Amino acid sequence: MASPAGDKTQLLTFRGVTKRFGGVTALDNVDFDLRYGEIHALLGENGAGKSTLIKVLGGIHIPDSGTIRIAGEPADIRGVADANNYGIRIIHQELCLVPNLSIAENIYLGKEPAGPAGLHRRKMAADAQALITDLGLYEISSVGTLISQLSVAHQQLVEIARALSCQARILVLDEPTSSLSEAETEALFVTLRRLRSQGVGIIYISHRLEEVMRLADRITVLRDGRSMGTQYTHQLNQRELIRWMVGRDIKEHFHRPVSRIGQAALKVHNLSSPTVRGVSFELHYGEILGLAGLIGSGRTELARALFGIDPVRQGQIYVDGQIVSIDCPNEALNNGIVLVPEDRKQQGLVMFQSVGFNLVLPWVRYWISACLPNHRKRSQIIDRAIKDFSIRVADPEQSIDSLSGGNQQKVLVGRWMERRPKVLILDEPTRGVDVGAREEMFAIIGSLVESDMAVLFISSDLSEVLHTCHRVALYHEGRIVSTFRAEDITEEQIMEQLTGAKAGENL
Amino acid sequence: MRTFRQVLPLGLAMAALLLIFSFWAPNFLNPQNMLDLVQQISVNAILAFGMTLVILIGGIDLSVGALLALVGTTTVYVLRRGPSEQQNLLWLAVALLAGLGVAAAFGVFNGLCAAKTKMPPFIITLAMMLVARGAALRFNEGRPMHIPDQQTVFLALGNGRLFGAVPIPVIVMLTLFAVVAVLLHRTRFGQHLYAIGGNREAARFTGIPIVRNEIIVYLICSVLAGLAGMIHTSQLYSAEPASGVMFELNAIAAAVVGGTSFTGGRANMAGTLIGAVIIGILDKGLNQAGVHFSLQYIVKGMVILTAVYIDVRRRSATSG
Repeated sequence: MASPAGDKTQLLTFRGVTKRFGGVTALDNVDFDLRYGEIHALLGENGAGKSTLIKVLGGIHIPDSGTIRIAGEPADIRGVADANNYGIRIIHQELCLVPNLSIAENIYLGKEPAGPAGLHRRKMAADAQALITDLGLYEISSVGTLISQLSVAHQQLVEIARALSCQARILVLDEPTSSLSEAETEALFVTLRRLRSQGVGIIYISHRLEEVMRLADRITVLRDGRSMGTQYTHQLNQRELIRWMVGRDIKEHFHRPVSRIGQAALKVHNLSSPTVRGVSFELHYGEILGLAGLIGSGRTELARALFGIDPVRQGQIYVDGQIVSIDCPNEALNNGIVLVPEDRKQQGLVMFQSVGFNLVLPWVRYWISACLPNHRKRSQIIDRAIKDFSIRVADPEQSIDSLSGGNQQKVLVGRWMERRPKVLILDEPTRGVDVGAREEMFAIIGSLVESDMAVLFISSDLSEVLHTCHRVALYHEGRIVSTFRAEDITEEQIMEQLTGAKAGENL
Repeated sequence: MRTFRQVLPLGLAMAALLLIFSFWAPNFLNPQNMLDLVQQISVNAILAFGMTLVILIGGIDLSVGALLALVGTTTVYVLRRGPSEQQNLLWLAVALLAGLGVAAAFGVFNGLCAAKTKMPPFIITLAMMLVARGAALRFNEGRPMHIPDQQTVFLALGNGRLFGAVPIPVIVMLTLFAVVAVLLHRTRFGQHLYAIGGNREAARFTGIPIVRNEIIVYLICSVLAGLAGMIHTSQLYSAEPASGVMFELNAIAAAVVGGTSFTGGRANMAGTLIGAVIIGILDKGLNQAGVHFSLQYIVKGMVILTAVYIDVRRRSATSG
């Protein structure tokens, strides 16, 4: 118990925490401290390990090694219930409230005060009211109001009230302001500062650096699963912060394919769908165009509209200069546009079927005519894909579940190549695959582009985008804000533009 | 090969049941009794073929039992309105088409609702079960309608025997089995159903037309229910608006015992056929062994539960 490392001034300490998923090291020997009464920002690019760290803290992931101490005592967090007992409350980006229950019922969900005569509704309402007033939610007349009638900002505050209702000592907020207006953000900050003065330790995750600069006492940056250290906010300016976040040694393992950039394969003019707001761009044969943007900026929705999944409201799509109308994926296929979706398991693969089944799925018409399956033809298609994309399988009829993430991704790319598409859209093709598979994926993309395919490349990994793409389009809230040749822009500049930093700060 | 491996344990279970009943119920295995058995299962098997397709794509069709009664009554009603008392093959065709038309209409409606709205298939087909039952009860004030003895062809559908031995319903059932099995296992349509049931989103992202396939599946299921309704009516020598109660549950049981996964994406027709046979053996065997009918329900329930439990265990073991 009384180990020498038991520093009583620290509310929470992580020492050498490591978490691996298969071959991917999500957290690599991470140290992290949180003091009593501190707002500590946790920053990093998408995939840097922030959410893994939070999940370790919340008991969703159990670390492979390392120690966690809370108030100086070693803490063994093996599940969500343990985390609750330690007073850890996490408010996730997606709210976890029950919309058809009242505010009070949501606050006390799972820990309703009850006796032999049933729920103590009056006590629940009174306590909830006290919490709500504490948080400064004066506009809400009654805690009997249903959650579904509240604005997102108020729902967020109800989540916080819920966290406080059980004496949170450590409060974690993951992108809490992404759906808040400026005024609502200010109100939230007032609340957070008050909680800080009451000794609560707050971990704050946000992409909005300006907010972080104003709110946080200290900042810890994660990069590629490693901690880059902790600094006091007042010792940094925003530009230094950005450098610190993205400034990695540029690794040369991505090489931009050398290809002859040809005519426009795809031209999109003023395209609008429910979430895409007037996008225009050109994509040439032999070119990789990267779409850089924050998570949730609507890049996936653009891909969905181009592939005929989401309806196109407005605008024109030209393939080879010919106007085409794409209202279903089949139309997209016929026009030579294919998509490798962002979520392999949900949108890509039929999980308990075989590798072969998944590889030939789009080409069933090539090997079955009427009711005469041509199994030789089927094997040909499968074998070719397996060979061309060096998919590592023992037997094409083995279950797709048994493949690694990288090999599953190769199945998804490989299955479109039976009839060569003109335009390949890749949505986060390297998410959740290890470094080796990533390089293989780049090699594949490179060879496709060198043989003249046009690739639209969506990735949240900026250095990946910068080093593989010929051009980069910055995508923000359903629009392309600007387009650059990849050589002409740096990660810092992209980050600055995307996080809405002021341009004046001498770049 | 894979199908064979899937079906093998079911075949063994079926053989074990036959063995048990050969000791328990005298003369259970004699050929005449076995022929009766296959004849008795044909209606349920035909329903189960359609049900298998629906469950495969992640749906359910509760309306087949009531639809069976409605198609039976519609067909006999039209048959009895014929131009003369005598059998008229042309008019028989009209009657059969009327019955199948009703079935098809229900199928397309179920399919449209399931594919185009967000209503769950369970509720859609529960509602359509009530509609079909009500519609059937409109005929002849809900009383049975006798099939005139002159309608020899229609009566042969349920009661005739080819070469004096093989019951016609069995031949119909096996023919339909062959058709549906080919459809499921050897056509694009079948491949697409596996994809839709296995992962609807992924199927959509590969350009498979989901709405069209879903409507066709419900259509097939309803038309098969219609055919089963005609056989059943013919076997009863009259159209009974109140018949077919709980038939949908027997069909679901056959499909599920046959290895159809309720979460969708897994099914094979041979399994369903054996599933129907197993349910039939249980019904007939327990009956002939003199088990009280109340106990028969309990035994059947336990067998279904056990079969599905074993299946689920086996699958979670193989797919890690």
